[in-house]
Amino acid sequence: MIETGIPKLDDFLGGGVPKGKSLVYYIQPGVEGEVFGMQTIFNTLKCNGTGVFIVSSTSPDTTRGQFKEFGWDIDMFKDRLFFVDAYNPLIGAPSNEKYVVLNPDNIENFNKVITDVIKELPPSTIVFGSLSTIMDLCGEKETIEAVKNWNKLAILYNHIIVYNFTAWPYSQETLDLLKKEMFNAVISIGGIAERVLFGQYFGILKSDWAKETKKSMLFRVLRPGGIKLFIPKILVTGPFDAGKSTFVHALSTRAISVDRLGTTIALDHGHVEYKGFSADVFGTPSQERFDPIIKLISGESMGIFLVVDSTNPTDFVRAKQMLEITKSYGLPFVVVANKQDLPGAMTPEDIKMQFNLPNDVPIVPASAKDKKGVFEAFEVLINKITGGI
Amino acid sequence: MPHVIDMVDKILADLKKVGGVEACAAATRDGLLIRALMQQEQFAESFAAMSATMLGAAETATSELGKGIPNRVIVESDHGRLIAVGAGPKALLMVLVNSNTGLGLILLELEKSAAKLKEIMI
Repeated sequence: MIETGIPKLDDFLGGGVPKGKSLVYYIQPGVEGEVFGMQTIFNTLKCNGTGVFIVSSTSPDTTRGQFKEFGWDIDMFKDRLFFVDAYNPLIGAPSNEKYVVLNPDNIENFNKVITDVIKELPPSTIVFGSLSTIMDLCGEKETIEAVKNWNKLAILYNHIIVYNFTAWPYSQETLDLLKKEMFNAVISIGGIAERVLFGQYFGILKSDWAKETKKSMLFRVLRPGGIKLFIPKILVTGPFDAGKSTFVHALSTRAISVDRLGTTIALDHGHVEYKGFSADVFGTPSQERFDPIIKLISGESMGIFLVVDSTNPTDFVRAKQMLEITKSYGLPFVVVANKQDLPGAMTPEDIKMQFNLPNDVPIVPASAKDKKGVFEAFEVLINKITGGI
Repeated sequence: MPHVIDMVDKILADLKKVGGVEACAAATRDGLLIRALMQQEQFAESFAAMSATMLGAAETATSELGKGIPNRVIVESDHGRLIAVGAGPKALLMVLVNSNTGLGLILLELEKSAAKLKEIMI
């Protein structure tokens, strides 16, 4: 098994990609999908594997620069990373790479070089930077035949073979073949568009070795950092003085609050980077007079932290009321039983009883001021949002 | 010795006399209504809370960007304008102005009133 290094994708794939398998990143035009192949190859290198990168749309040196933009130091792995240069000959520039496709618009020539690579190198992760570019140069039918052949060879020589493919308007026949037949796994990478792309997601369309998951994940691409799973909005709400702002600050890499005289009057906003996830959290005010603002900032959340003061059960009524105000029923939520450090704090079990909560609502004990329990709560909520492993 | 509330009432009454001012109110920074002079009294509480939210959010936004604390927040609509100013660390003052009066005199009077409110709230 080779891990792709893309958060959650390896979980979806049952741990990674087994040797001999082929995988295509099927990318909707306009989405930053090429980074998937790059992150996969870099993760192979990190795990002491060998990587081959076939570049068709930029020169190997430009590609090296792109790796560095993501903060991935490939110089460390120089002896285990091979480039197949199918770009420089196209523009008539000389190439310094060991493997060069001299006529990138000739599939026979391509085939020969790739076959050499597959036969000569130890079991590697072979990544095609842009299969669509090869298809544009060599023709759809010709390229499909070649790819089928490479996939078979990869099985014989125990390589993992990965393609970035941008789904330009090729013939439906070609697109269907790619999506349904030619590869062991298809990861679809798309965008949520409303005039402009404002969100990007990936999901497994097909995988013949892992149980199929219908789940899609939102992601964004950070430089440096690569692919991070992205949760645009998590709400932190709860009654007065429960510790919502403290919770937001304890969880966030950076956070700001609008508070006066010790109470939040507008909102808290924090940005969380944790275990491959990138999330924005919004804390609401709590006092009744701010109810209009609470409604305003709680729309379109993907999950809720309901923070309660474990020493103050009289507030639980307001806590439930706030779930109503924020229209949170139906969304995944986690109760954060805060102030566990104080004497007289109720246990999560007691709170569940008092609160009359359904059994599947997790209650996480925490002490936000000491940063205890906050990341546990985050993991529990993320698992609920992403549907778990 | 007059009570603080009476003093706030005096400040608001003076402010209300300025041409174009339709309503005015004083609130604590955390959005609790101190006193209001307005026709629709039932909205005074949320008027106070939302004004505190606006001013607080505006202050955080500008100071996070390194542009200091704003002198005031002015919200304009077709039917009128809402102005909120800070009055020291504990209080704020807001007025509702009709849409056809120049703001010059009102802003001037508002500053003076805010300075007074600041003093009596200490």
